[in-house]
Amino acid sequence: MFAISVMNGLVIGVIYALAALGVSLVVGIMNVVNFAHGELYILAGYFSYLFASALGLNFLVAMLLALALVFLLGIVIEYTLIRPTYGNDMYSLILTFILSIVLQNAYLLIFGPYPNKPPLWVKGATDVFGLFSYGNQRLAALIAGAGVIAVTFFLIKKTWFGRIIRATSQDREMAELNGVDTTRLNMLSFGLGCALAAAAGVILTPVFPVTPTAGVPVALTAFVVVVLGGMGSMWGCVVGGLLLGLVENLGAAFISTGYKNVFGFIILILVLLVRPSGLFGRTKI
Amino acid sequence: MTGKQLLWVGGLILAGMCLLPLGLDIYPQHVLIVSLFYVMMASSWNLLAGYTGQVSFGHAAMAGIGAYASGILAVKAGLNPWIGVGIGTVLAALLGLGLGALCLKMGGIYLSLTTLAFSQILHIIIVNQYDLTRGTMGLQVPGLVAEYSKLAYYYILLAAAVLVLFVLYRMLHSNLGLNFRAVQNDELAAKSIGVKVLQVRVLAFTVASAMAGFAGGLYGHYLLLITPEIPSLDLQFYVLAMTVIGGMGSFTGPIIGAFALNILAEKIRDYGEYHVLVFGLIALSAARFAPNGLLGVWRKLRRSTAHRTVN
Repeated sequence: MFAISVMNGLVIGVIYALAALGVSLVVGIMNVVNFAHGELYILAGYFSYLFASALGLNFLVAMLLALALVFLLGIVIEYTLIRPTYGNDMYSLILTFILSIVLQNAYLLIFGPYPNKPPLWVKGATDVFGLFSYGNQRLAALIAGAGVIAVTFFLIKKTWFGRIIRATSQDREMAELNGVDTTRLNMLSFGLGCALAAAAGVILTPVFPVTPTAGVPVALTAFVVVVLGGMGSMWGCVVGGLLLGLVENLGAAFISTGYKNVFGFIILILVLLVRPSGLFGRTKI
Repeated sequence: MTGKQLLWVGGLILAGMCLLPLGLDIYPQHVLIVSLFYVMMASSWNLLAGYTGQVSFGHAAMAGIGAYASGILAVKAGLNPWIGVGIGTVLAALLGLGLGALCLKMGGIYLSLTTLAFSQILHIIIVNQYDLTRGTMGLQVPGLVAEYSKLAYYYILLAAAVLVLFVLYRMLHSNLGLNFRAVQNDELAAKSIGVKVLQVRVLAFTVASAMAGFAGGLYGHYLLLITPEIPSLDLQFYVLAMTVIGGMGSFTGPIIGAFALNILAEKIRDYGEYHVLVFGLIALSAARFAPNGLLGVWRKLRRSTAHRTVN
């Protein structure tokens, strides 16, 4: 029971970390919280379901296609909705919240309230250290999630593009003075943030099917992870995501399943009380 | 408008509102009562988003706190619903104070995140505590008046809405209202001339939460069945859309928005459950193209026609 809860916690924790990275990237650069993050996560799930199950494409092709489409949608959202609100953070909060409700209701209209599920990548189960046998799909999700996180870290920490991103999130004006086109960077990083939500979506939906509102708890947890890890901190997302995944699953196993999502809220309150800037946050505010 | 003119206009509208339901059927009366609930919700949410620049996603949750607190006390302890509504209001105010003090020192985004989380958690608790709340089945509660009549409820909610609007109006047109505006426009400048930014924000959040709790308590006792629909994100969205479409940051905007959208919702419902999607699209374009809402558009039109007559 304990071992399997830890395993479940790791799998979902990696997905939380992935979703939180997307939120954190956008917050770090644009100071915008995208409240439609969970709906984009779900959209990627719907896309991969459509392409793989309805059109019969290979699951990998379907996933990449879903990722690319959500990335493009992210760019369109930034261009049409977010860009006019620069300098007024309140409007971006309101706009993305309205967008999330619009998307939820559009999904309900198009796909109905029933859960939809893209096909599994792999079948069967593996014996984990002789402790329990664990579904291969979940193991694959764990590996894929960790892989995408590694790629994101590489992109941000090691490449030229990543250097621009880090420079802009540290000091926007200084980056502009050095020739960074921050408007285009905003657009790209917003798209990238959405793509990270989509990555979490395509990886997790074969395990947890999509419904029109299934994105809400995931996005909410991602927000809690971002606050817990410290706004804009990448390591904070990873540590916070894993921590929250473990706490939720152990809490669900040993305290109460119905209150699974409440533990995250308790953590949020504790963080705000004890260390409001988060685990890895800069304590400048 | 001068104060005297304003008093006349207000008095005339109020008189009209008092006479309005007399010639109507039960169903339009119901629509009006629900609209009055939304007037209270949207106007108090506007105090936050429109006047102090903080976006709360937990306003519906506060209404839920008021409704469930009063409902549970009435059902389990046999408490008089009127006292229950008072207790619900105080409870919502206390929760608002706690949440506000907790996250407002960290800035606006934290309030939005925390209130969103709060409303989701409240939803989960209500669904899971079946013994106390009857979960999604809904809690049957006694009414506010001995003999159920739409007309009585209409006047109760009208009086409540007038009370809420009166308090808001006095607040906004006092020194405190200037502080609100100052905090919204430029936090740093406000701080530099001695406005206690944090206290002003927390106070606005507490007052708005109390008003939501009050409205929710009354609404619950009108519906006679309290369900998790009250503290839901959908209701939160209605309140937000009404304020944004009506005109955020103006006194009359949310009132117009509440009536317009609630009546429009009834019309759209004839064609199916599309009203949330339609409101969403309208609200999206309003927030994007007309940030001052219907009222802003009207003022702009009037200004341009006035301009033309001068020329």
